[in-house]
Amino acid sequence: MGLSVQALVNGILFGTMYGTAAIGLSLIFGTMRIVFFAQGSVIIFFSYLCFWAFSLLGIDPYLSMIPVFILALLLGAGFYYVLFKEAAALQDRISSLLIAVGLMFILENFMEVVWTPNPRSIVTSYGFSIITILGTNITLVRLIALLIAILATAGVFIFLRKTLIGTAVRATSEDVESSTLMGISPNRVNAVAFAIGIGLASIAGINFATTYSFDPKYGFDVVIKALFALTLGGIGNVVGALLGGIIIGVIESMASFYLGMGWAQGVLFVLFILALTLRPYGLFGGASQKA
Amino acid sequence: MSEQLGLARESSGFLKSLLRTSLKNRVYLIIIVIALVVFGAMPYMIGVDSFFIYYLFMVFIYIGVSQGWNLVGGYTGQISLGTHAFFALGGYTTALIWIHGITHTWYYFDPLLMLLSGIVPAIFAVIIGLPTLSRLRGDYFSFGTLAAAEVLRIIILRTTEFSGGATGLQLPSGGFTDLGIYYWTALLLAVLATLAVFIITRSRIGLALRAISEDETSAASHGINILRYKMLSFVIGSFMIGVFGSLFVYYQFLINPATMMTLDRWMFYPLLICVLGGNGTIMGPIIGAFIIVTLFTFGQNALGAINPALSKVHPMLSGLIIILVMKYMPTGLWGLKDKISPRK
Repeated sequence: MGLSVQALVNGILFGTMYGTAAIGLSLIFGTMRIVFFAQGSVIIFFSYLCFWAFSLLGIDPYLSMIPVFILALLLGAGFYYVLFKEAAALQDRISSLLIAVGLMFILENFMEVVWTPNPRSIVTSYGFSIITILGTNITLVRLIALLIAILATAGVFIFLRKTLIGTAVRATSEDVESSTLMGISPNRVNAVAFAIGIGLASIAGINFATTYSFDPKYGFDVVIKALFALTLGGIGNVVGALLGGIIIGVIESMASFYLGMGWAQGVLFVLFILALTLRPYGLFGGASQKA
Repeated sequence: MSEQLGLARESSGFLKSLLRTSLKNRVYLIIIVIALVVFGAMPYMIGVDSFFIYYLFMVFIYIGVSQGWNLVGGYTGQISLGTHAFFALGGYTTALIWIHGITHTWYYFDPLLMLLSGIVPAIFAVIIGLPTLSRLRGDYFSFGTLAAAEVLRIIILRTTEFSGGATGLQLPSGGFTDLGIYYWTALLLAVLATLAVFIITRSRIGLALRAISEDETSAASHGINILRYKMLSFVIGSFMIGVFGSLFVYYQFLINPATMMTLDRWMFYPLLICVLGGNGTIMGPIIGAFIIVTLFTFGQNALGAINPALSKVHPMLSGLIIILVMKYMPTGLWGLKDKISPRK
């Protein structure tokens, strides 16, 4: 099969990472109307943590994923309680956006100081074995990344549908006041949403670290595309966010292939603006869009 | 309270309001005049090439850019994240017109050039403002401006013959003698910017902007054309930012995306300055500019000289500051005075 199909497949794989990030954003935005702008930088931060575990301690990234994920859950709850609790309560958009941007700056520069601006990546010994499916070549790490992303999405989906807390999260996304009338504690729901959001960021971070090289400033890029995925997917729509991410990954990959990396970014941003203006409720947007 | 009453009273005419100034306002006026005289005379007092003059020069530039942001972000409540795009556009307009000799004027500190450097960003503001302001809620407007700014960056980086790409363009050197002309022009422009925002916000336009920032639906139901006023503040603000971009390019003699479009310097700092000083106030950006530029020059020059890694401290610190301000002091420093003195 041709190189363009290769680009398509790579785009899908890359897109699942945007999608994972976007699901986290979607949860946080859905429950608290906070745009967590620092998501990209958080993802890269977790990439660096895995990198550290790998290069300093020799721990395989997929093994380190479990403690890192748990750390991420705690960190997410911590972010909520320390930074965003008041802004969420007041539904103050400006505050929350600025706090998130502030966090992004802190993280970016912190990473630059600690890990230097040089790009890093994790290269495992088995990582580059190539598997051939339907005539296209996929490296093993990318396949694993795809599987992890799909599993994570499924996990979140099941959590939201089948567990009590998950239902509470969904209820809060739809209508905060009514949920509190039903006896749902908004703080706890918000903390859970944030925890899952950051947890998903850690998963995306691990996937990212194993498949591509990253540097401290890359987070900004990632969050813009994740926001784009969120916009396409519609708020509160978990599967939609993943699909949105895949669409973006594919567009980016195909545009890169035909136009070169630089213009591909431009195309993506222009499409973002168009999507915002023409379909602000997303391609898959649901009915109750409290935008 | 009396702030709002004053607004209602003074919206009937700026000049009339001058005649009715109270003692307190006259004191403010005297202080402002004294400050301006001191600033104007400063180069004579301490020597025009001193670091302090450079510091004040940067302060004035940030005051100007921040007032431009203040108009749309502070007074109208629309958080624009595209400030760096307007700044760069202003600079590139100046650079390109000068290099290609389009207008046959004297180019260096040429008022016509600076005027055009304001108009081009204003046009850009109209282009991205119309679709984003008409349909999009607050957050999405912010992303729209950010995305548009990044599109601009990519266009600049890719059209190498036209814009010089990543290395940028060099201005044909004019006569850089000393910092004097930069300092006074910056002071003049900062005063004009502050004055412009002052006049606009004391007028009926300002009343409409404030109404929009507090409650859009209510404002619309009172007959305010939301789109028109949002666009007005956005375009005027971007004009001001562009003019300062032009001034900055005159100083640097070089323009490229790395220096003119850095996110932390030209997108985040004006925003931080306004929020720290007091969003939607006149004095806010001024206070904020002094503080942030102090932080920035200290971090960049003093700490950075000790150890390059330490030069990352000030962006981290500004991130921390904005978090603290938003959590504990959302009205900014200037807003604190209202909290301290009891209102009658």
